[in-house]
Amino acid sequence: MSAPCQRLTPALLDELRQIVGPRFVIAGDPEQLQPYSHDEVAEEEYHALPEAVVRPQSADEIARILKLANRERIPVTPRGGGSGLSGGAVPVCGGIVLSLDRMNRILEIDVENLCAVVEPGVITNDLDAAARERGLFFAGYPMSLQSCFIGGNVAENAGGGKAVKYGVTGRYILGLQVVTPEGEIAEFGGKLVKNVTGYDMIGLLVGSEGTLGVFTKIVVKLLPRPTRVVDLLALFPDPETAIRAVPAIMTGARIIPTAIEFMDRLSAHTACRYLNEQLPYEQAGAMLLIELDGNDAAQLEVQYQAVGELCMEKGAIEVYVADNATTQERIWSVRRNIAEAFMVVSPHQSLEDITVPVAAIPAIMPVLEDLSRRYDISIPCYGHAGDGNLHVTPVKNPAHTLEQWHAMLPRILAELYRAAHDLGGVISGEHGIGHKRKAYLHYSLDPASVDLMKRVKRALDPNNILNPGKIFDLP
Amino acid sequence: MDIIVPIKQVPETSKVRMDPNTGVMIREGVESIINPLDLYAIEAALQLAEGCGGRTTALSMGPAKAEAAVREAIAMGCTEGVLLSHRSFAGSDTWATSFALSLAIRKRGAFDLILCGERATDGDTGQVGPGIAAWLGLPVVTYVSRILECGPRAVVVRRMIEEGYETLEAELPCVLTVVKEAAYPRLPTLRGKQRARAATVPVWGPEDIGAPAESLGLKGSPTRVVKVESPSLARHGDVRTPKDPAELERAVDGIVDYLERLGLT
Repeated sequence: MSAPCQRLTPALLDELRQIVGPRFVIAGDPEQLQPYSHDEVAEEEYHALPEAVVRPQSADEIARILKLANRERIPVTPRGGGSGLSGGAVPVCGGIVLSLDRMNRILEIDVENLCAVVEPGVITNDLDAAARERGLFFAGYPMSLQSCFIGGNVAENAGGGKAVKYGVTGRYILGLQVVTPEGEIAEFGGKLVKNVTGYDMIGLLVGSEGTLGVFTKIVVKLLPRPTRVVDLLALFPDPETAIRAVPAIMTGARIIPTAIEFMDRLSAHTACRYLNEQLPYEQAGAMLLIELDGNDAAQLEVQYQAVGELCMEKGAIEVYVADNATTQERIWSVRRNIAEAFMVVSPHQSLEDITVPVAAIPAIMPVLEDLSRRYDISIPCYGHAGDGNLHVTPVKNPAHTLEQWHAMLPRILAELYRAAHDLGGVISGEHGIGHKRKAYLHYSLDPASVDLMKRVKRALDPNNILNPGKIFDLP
Repeated sequence: MDIIVPIKQVPETSKVRMDPNTGVMIREGVESIINPLDLYAIEAALQLAEGCGGRTTALSMGPAKAEAAVREAIAMGCTEGVLLSHRSFAGSDTWATSFALSLAIRKRGAFDLILCGERATDGDTGQVGPGIAAWLGLPVVTYVSRILECGPRAVVVRRMIEEGYETLEAELPCVLTVVKEAAYPRLPTLRGKQRARAATVPVWGPEDIGAPAESLGLKGSPTRVVKVESPSLARHGDVRTPKDPAELERAVDGIVDYLERLGLT
């Protein structure tokens, strides 16, 4: 059962045009296909052109496309907003890219049942905006929320900044309508908080990276929207001191913040310089951005005071308080612009997202310093300290040649992943494996576990037509 | 050096929507903040006070909730704050506002400098700073981009003008209104917030500043709002999508004709 490599013939393209309408099939022109050849992974070796892009509008059309693909052994790669960071939406075996951008309706915001029913192509921010009008919110909050699709969030089980308190996307998926790889339409769950009827198929499908099914309708759990938010930006002398404050906040203050974002010296300084931010950041060896939410201003004030005091007690040089939109935007923009700021330093970088147990974060820091020194590159480290998910990002030294970079990156990643594993962590917390990290899967999973996953894939997708070449290769 | 910074609480404008029927701002659910342009004045004042010693006073006029703006200024580092708040102040235009503020400044006593933001982001007039100077009979320099020297008897500033900058010297006490370039505002700190929370912010009414009733609020305001309307966007696009070379040719000719009619060729 190897990856299908049959080509799309003119006759098959005509058949696809009949299914979705001629306007919604793109084929032939490489310039039009190019936008569908990559996600947000910038390095070109992870890009691949599809033979055709098909833009269906219903589960029925998708079912017919997948039946055709099975009959003809054509690979099909589902695509959401294209904001992924593992190559999940890249058609590595060619074939069809199944773009879900036309299935973008919010079908229902059900206030009484605290949920929404949406199509996969809804932009996550639009769902949140619709919920906001009714005093609700979608708590799965990826950082790319202005461009990503909810379908992609489910496929990758996206995490993000608010996972400390609210968990990741999967926690909010109550029901799924899915087209199976063989083209059958199946429904799991519904507007139900509790459901143990049969296997937890939603749990299996969430985070399956588009390899086990195409979501066509998603029931999303919504929560009452907190009315107030306060952010603290705490400057610490060094990363160890900053990280040690994290568990102290949760246990000492007995408060679970909405977000605890960590920025090491290099990340924070580069972003501040990029933004021309005049905070006295030069003295900071690390920063924590802590967000708290609630409905009662007085109570929230007590909470942020307690958290702020703890930071000072644990060695913070200074703690800034942002309790209005102007100041909040100012401090979050430091965190949000790190990746962008490093693109200016060098476009060649590998945005990683290892996850380790929270208490092991200080132990990873010397590993990064050592790697950085031995390979003579910058490795900024920032991310979600509250949940142990760190964006360790090896950035090419501008003095190195591309050949040197390509030769050293796999070795750096291998060392990084091994260190994460030794600390009880995994190679990816929220970006996924895709084809970018599949060569490293064994650093996190033993052979028996991978074998079990492959058997699941074979059972659901016997012809291996749905997003082949992702997570692992099938022999 | 004793510096007074008059500030205004304004709606957070990036979230403001206008009522399409009345043309009036929808204030419900909109957060209130310190006028962003006043933050530069606060920062400039704090830097001067830190540089040569002294105290800074944030002064605001507004509804009771404007106390939050005064406390935020204290959290940033201002030594103290005063709020002018009473229903008789409601509806004041820039004339009545600058008059009331000038009385409050007189009552507060001797000072060296009044530092204002360029204008408020909601009213957009830029008149209150110069108005205060007029009522107090003080020199005023507007659009200050940098304070070059300060004290003890005069201030030397760089002032932004249309063609560039000019350098002026003014005797103290005087009024300056500053533009963005003047200083980069700091963020309030935890300790600053704690100090602001503990601070006593006196609230003054008309009697406290000795203001005659007829000079306050709507009564004391010569400005009359006759009508509020949102301008309609007059621009419109004309997109041609030619399907063959002949149509393309015609479309290009059409654009050339149009530009000729406007005298743009």
